[in-house]
Amino acid sequence: MSKLLKINKGVDEGTKALLEYLLEKDKVEGVITLKTINANQGICYSLITKPEELKDAVPLIPYMPNNEGKLLSRLTLREPLADPIAVVARPCELRAFIELVKRNQGSLKNYLFISHTCPGVYPLETNVNGSLEKKISQYWNKTKNTELIQDTRPACKSCIHFIPDNADIIVSLIGEADLDNNCNIFLSTNKGEEFAAGIEGEIGEKELESKEINLMQNKREEERKKLFEETNIETKGIEGLIEYFGKCIGCHGCSNVCPICYCNLCFFDSQPNETQPSWSESDLDRKGALRLPSGTIFYHLGRLAHISISCIGCGMCTDVCPVNIPISTIFSKVGESVQKAFDYSPGMDVEEPVPFGIYKEEEFTEIGEQ
Amino acid sequence: MNKNFTPKIIYFMCNWCGTGGAESASAHHLYYPENVLPYRVNCTGSLSTVLILRAFIDGADGVIISGCHPGDCHYEDGNFRERKRVATIKSIIESLGLEEDRIWFRYVAHGEGKRFVDTTTEFNDYIKKIGPNPLKERSDT
Amino acid sequence: MRGSVLPIENNLEETILNFIKEAFDKKCIEAVILPKRIPSGDSFAYLLIKDKSILEGASPFPPVIPVQGAKAISSLTRQGSVKKKILAIMHPCEIRATIELFKLKQTTLNNLIFMSYDCPGVLPLSDYLENPDENDQTFLAAQQKWDSKDMRPVCKICTEFSAPASDLHIGQLGTDEGKIFLIPNSSVGKEFLNAFGLNSDVPLDEWEAEVEKLKKERENNKKDAQEKLKTKVEGPENLLETLSSCITCHNCMRVCPVCYCRQCYFDSDAFKFPPDNFISKSEKKGSIRLPSDTLIFHLGRMSHMIHSCVSCGTCEDACPMDIPIAQIFNLVADKTQQVLDYKPGRNIEEPLPTVTYQEEELQEFEKPYSETYIKVEETNV
Repeated sequence: MSKLLKINKGVDEGTKALLEYLLEKDKVEGVITLKTINANQGICYSLITKPEELKDAVPLIPYMPNNEGKLLSRLTLREPLADPIAVVARPCELRAFIELVKRNQGSLKNYLFISHTCPGVYPLETNVNGSLEKKISQYWNKTKNTELIQDTRPACKSCIHFIPDNADIIVSLIGEADLDNNCNIFLSTNKGEEFAAGIEGEIGEKELESKEINLMQNKREEERKKLFEETNIETKGIEGLIEYFGKCIGCHGCSNVCPICYCNLCFFDSQPNETQPSWSESDLDRKGALRLPSGTIFYHLGRLAHISISCIGCGMCTDVCPVNIPISTIFSKVGESVQKAFDYSPGMDVEEPVPFGIYKEEEFTEIGEQ
Repeated sequence: MNKNFTPKIIYFMCNWCGTGGAESASAHHLYYPENVLPYRVNCTGSLSTVLILRAFIDGADGVIISGCHPGDCHYEDGNFRERKRVATIKSIIESLGLEEDRIWFRYVAHGEGKRFVDTTTEFNDYIKKIGPNPLKERSDT
Repeated sequence: MRGSVLPIENNLEETILNFIKEAFDKKCIEAVILPKRIPSGDSFAYLLIKDKSILEGASPFPPVIPVQGAKAISSLTRQGSVKKKILAIMHPCEIRATIELFKLKQTTLNNLIFMSYDCPGVLPLSDYLENPDENDQTFLAAQQKWDSKDMRPVCKICTEFSAPASDLHIGQLGTDEGKIFLIPNSSVGKEFLNAFGLNSDVPLDEWEAEVEKLKKERENNKKDAQEKLKTKVEGPENLLETLSSCITCHNCMRVCPVCYCRQCYFDSDAFKFPPDNFISKSEKKGSIRLPSDTLIFHLGRMSHMIHSCVSCGTCEDACPMDIPIAQIFNLVADKTQQVLDYKPGRNIEEPLPTVTYQEEELQEFEKPYSETYIKVEETNV
């Protein structure tokens, strides 16, 4: 059982009221949340320090221009925060940030995490062609009725980690039939309770895991299975990889938006990865032809080797791909099996080390010499 | 002209002539507006375009760059390098309809204290006349 | 100018492929770089081909530019020159970018022979991917009629669509039905044609006239298009509105042929700040956008490479948010290159403007000083 705070406002307004309360009472120095800019021309994450700027905030809009984990890491890369900052983030963004913290790319200190049971987000292109606004009412209707929203990102439809385990404050969305008028906020940690103390609203107790959540979990798991079966990458071998990644234009946008890919200079952009012309020429002699720039499959497989252990399945990579390669589906799929092999779930516990950083003599003995 | 407006002006000056100009101004007890913030670089040739842009976008109302007179550069052609960069950046800013005249490039030699003071005053008055830089108020840059 | 005439058998693509095969046979070249459809059939990739059988079905005139050719060339020759003699068939903008990369020391051109052609433009990549089959037909029709209405916005206003500093140029404009011109631009090109027994002595007045005519037309289109674009991007208000959907993925920089740095300055440690930096900025303005520095990135990138911008439009193709970034860069590049008196890829001997300095240039950018400057307040009183 955790503490439940009820605010008699819609979820959007309720969340904003909470943020406003935190800012106005100086409990936090700033708030990071989504905000519309230039009269609705764009939606982007913003660091808000003045309460009046919150009027343009849209904390729960189903849109993710960046993975916020990357931004939180940018903010605390050099040093931890001196004063608290409240952050409204989706579960996958929190998981991404925790993975980054494990890799010394940020610090959890003084962040207050506000999250929600996540119904998913729409692809970036919905904001380009202007269909995002029209979709929002059906988004909330379906969320109320615990339905799967078919036109969200494939990664969101098939996401089974939509409960934020690391958040201090959780706004309940999925299956809340009365979310237009009522905002149910779980204060799941002591920190969350402390910060929210004194805000106008009823305090009660309730279990976060409701039957609606379980229902959604089942639906998502089914969808995930379906999606993986459709992609069916494991049966196709190299032909399948060529089919999917052949279109790749080598912009490396997937790595640039990936929250886990934190390297300043990616190995695949670096000088050691460049080939000598003589190597290319001997390859050419052997194969008869060579793709230029070469190493497309190598890049994607290599990136899988580097980050699949921590892939949190946010789906940014698919969204940003200019040639519509379903990267996130493949990465989630591979990530799932890699994570299973190492018995590791990324972004759950900041104390749990990344498996690549610890070695024991008595493990994986089945690999190697018999 | 808004009498209450105090512009923030960044003055990039080279270590040799620009700074020398400021020094001779002080030796002659000449005064320049205190809202002009000197920023010393070793040679204007080492001043990156991004640094000028950073000042222009993130808070300054105007930017002045002062190097040595032609032929006087301590590193032979640093002032010409910077002139070309200023030309590039001003062309970029102008073709996007931002105010290119908020960036000035003027040579000031060691000992030209009056020229330094005149430049700062003239620029300060000019920026006061055209008003604050619209970019510095924007939160979406 | 003078060149030779080549009759077209069946269609242009086949003629050129046969020409290349003959070049293989005559030992003029040992390998060729040209685009070929990828196995899944919905896009193209540059292939370095040595085996004649793989040459079958290659597309020397692809309807899209998925990877800028200059990037393909530089990926092969950045570390040194190739030993084999290689012919590369590319769009004029790709060859211009290659020349810029050569000046930036990012590629070596020994043993490479460049072949260009009168370019009708290409389709936007995202449009093409939606329906490759239909778009193949659209492109074919547009290619024959020199109709640029479906082409990318920067292709519509491209005035450098013909004869860059390549070795050999295929002239399709102003030719008689069923013929193309082969125009040698260098001694290498001449030798190449000589090996085929082709004497370059046919006068090219008609081709030159047609090119001039089309150039004039495009010049006018460009003026109109730029005027129209200016109403959308000029001034801080408009510019920031256009950039408000930018997600800072830096795809535009990554696909840009001229942005060759392995580590971009805007991704480097120079752009990572302590939290105070963000918070104090935010306190001044009420809020700041994250990731910050969007405008600095775009203007800064311009200041780094705009003199070499060939307006190839690859950046716009790669933008997931459909920002007209190539058009903005084209607008700025036109102005800046005029000021610096430099045209990228015009001539391989011409030095980059960032490495040459003269005392007597760009003096209009120095603020003149008059010793009689009088303070404004004093005059006002």
